Amino acid sequence: MKKLSKKTLNSSFWRWYYGNLTAFSHEHMQTFGYMWSMLPIIQELYSSKEEQAEKLQTYYPFFNTEPQIGAIVVGITAGLEEARANGAEEIDDEMINGIRAGLMGPLAGIGDSLIVGTYIPVLLGLALGFAEGGSVLGPIFYIVVWNITITWFMRFIYNKGYELGGNAVEMIVGEQATAFRESVIILGQIIVGAMSGSWVSITTAWTLTAEGAKEPYFNLQKSLDGAFPGVLTMLFVLLCWWLMSKKGVSPIKVMLLMVVIAFAGVFIGFFNPGLSY
Amino acid sequence: MISWFQAALLGVMSVCAASTIAALGTSIGNYTLNRPLIAGLFVGLILGDVQGCIQIAIPMQIIYIALVTPGGTVAADLRAVSYIGIPLAWAMAKTQGWDMGGAEAQAFAGAMGAAVGSVGTVQFYGTAMMNLIWQHIGWARLDKGDFSIIGKVEVFFPLISHLVISFIPVTLLVYYGADAIGEFKDALPMDSWYMKSLFTVGSLLPAVGMAILLKSVVTKPSDLIYFVGGFAMAKSMGLTLLAAAAVGGIFALVNYTIKMNKPKVVSAGGIDDDDEEDI
Repeated sequence: MKKLSKKTLNSSFWRWYYGNLTAFSHEHMQTFGYMWSMLPIIQELYSSKEEQAEKLQTYYPFFNTEPQIGAIVVGITAGLEEARANGAEEIDDEMINGIRAGLMGPLAGIGDSLIVGTYIPVLLGLALGFAEGGSVLGPIFYIVVWNITITWFMRFIYNKGYELGGNAVEMIVGEQATAFRESVIILGQIIVGAMSGSWVSITTAWTLTAEGAKEPYFNLQKSLDGAFPGVLTMLFVLLCWWLMSKKGVSPIKVMLLMVVIAFAGVFIGFFNPGLSY
Repeated sequence: MISWFQAALLGVMSVCAASTIAALGTSIGNYTLNRPLIAGLFVGLILGDVQGCIQIAIPMQIIYIALVTPGGTVAADLRAVSYIGIPLAWAMAKTQGWDMGGAEAQAFAGAMGAAVGSVGTVQFYGTAMMNLIWQHIGWARLDKGDFSIIGKVEVFFPLISHLVISFIPVTLLVYYGADAIGEFKDALPMDSWYMKSLFTVGSLLPAVGMAILLKSVVTKPSDLIYFVGGFAMAKSMGLTLLAAAAVGGIFALVNYTIKMNKPKVVSAGGIDDDDEEDI
């Protein structure tokens, strides 16, 4: 009965933690990171060089996902590789790559929306609050909390993947996990709203002044804020969202559009930052 | 304004922090050192003004609060924002005698961050393309049964890509840019239409950042009501982000409870709810 040593699993984990994207190219993406991570496992399980080379070829196919949550896949294949070395016949290259290919997409979606799209912005948001006035507390808070939690999380799911092997799939795409994910995303939606309200400030300088009068009789910004504070900001965020998600406009093009709107808006007097040296 | 030594240190930091392909890996490189707010601390240590650089970093961080890179496509690689944008905006504010937390410095930082983001995009694709060379060497040696090549392709060869595409350009841009940027003042008066427009761009771009974030969490239009609610919590009710997160937590918990209590065809009884990992 072959059993992977703790040292080997550690080595495999840290290689993935560090090297998942260091050799990134658009052709192979995380393939080399994956092979580098599986190498110590294969070398421990198989003694002959020929067998090692053969088993390593299982990991030649393309791999790419959100690499932090993707640690679970590396853990799963470590578990499967151990079972295969112990003679489990149902585990072959096809099965392993079926699991890898099958999990890449869902995990990228989960990782991008939960880790990159929700958790990191929330932490950064809190850190921005602490950083007010240029305090070092903000960056330090983020550095400590982010690195401790993500390292713990990656380690946890790597180990879970290794223990459960193929059964770990249920943990990711099962009913309970889906309900949990959807609930966290609701929290994310509310927080994106709160962040937009706190940090983005788009105001108009557009007013109407009666002939000869000193003060304008109509101030668009005041009127809008009287109806819904910050509504102009909110509409701009929603406009950008609509362009990107409903019209398929790329973020870069939306940014360029904002540049055009800024120039046009300044030209007609809708925007005026009112700054001076 | 910025010495060769300082510029070179900033160049090294940009290598460590390259988005997705960072020399220090994904979690520490891309998701820690790459973020402008964190970079503010390190740039501040290098330039000797921690407080000022963090203040300059704040508006840049807000624009790029959400940077999701689906399938290896980036809208902007923040290494350039963090390690070119912050030093240059800081140098500009210093030359002009602006208060780092004041409206001018903050608005300029925002506009600067938006402008150099595309430099980072070029660097990102450049590094990824150069890595192809190392991978081709890797495949060729692997065919000959040389396993040790994988580690080299992973760790050492990409450093050459970084030297060419990150270290050298960043060092040069920061060194020469810091001296040149102060001369802009006379050429670019604040009440000119183009400077007004530039600062307006700086105030509009954070909306794009938020929209990118919104896109990653919204699946159907009715989800937008949560966004609008969160917006009202912050703007109308004056809740801080943490307080809004607490209220949001209530909605999340209610949703989870409802979803898990739906009558099911197949009973999921016996599964313990507590083992769900929280991230």
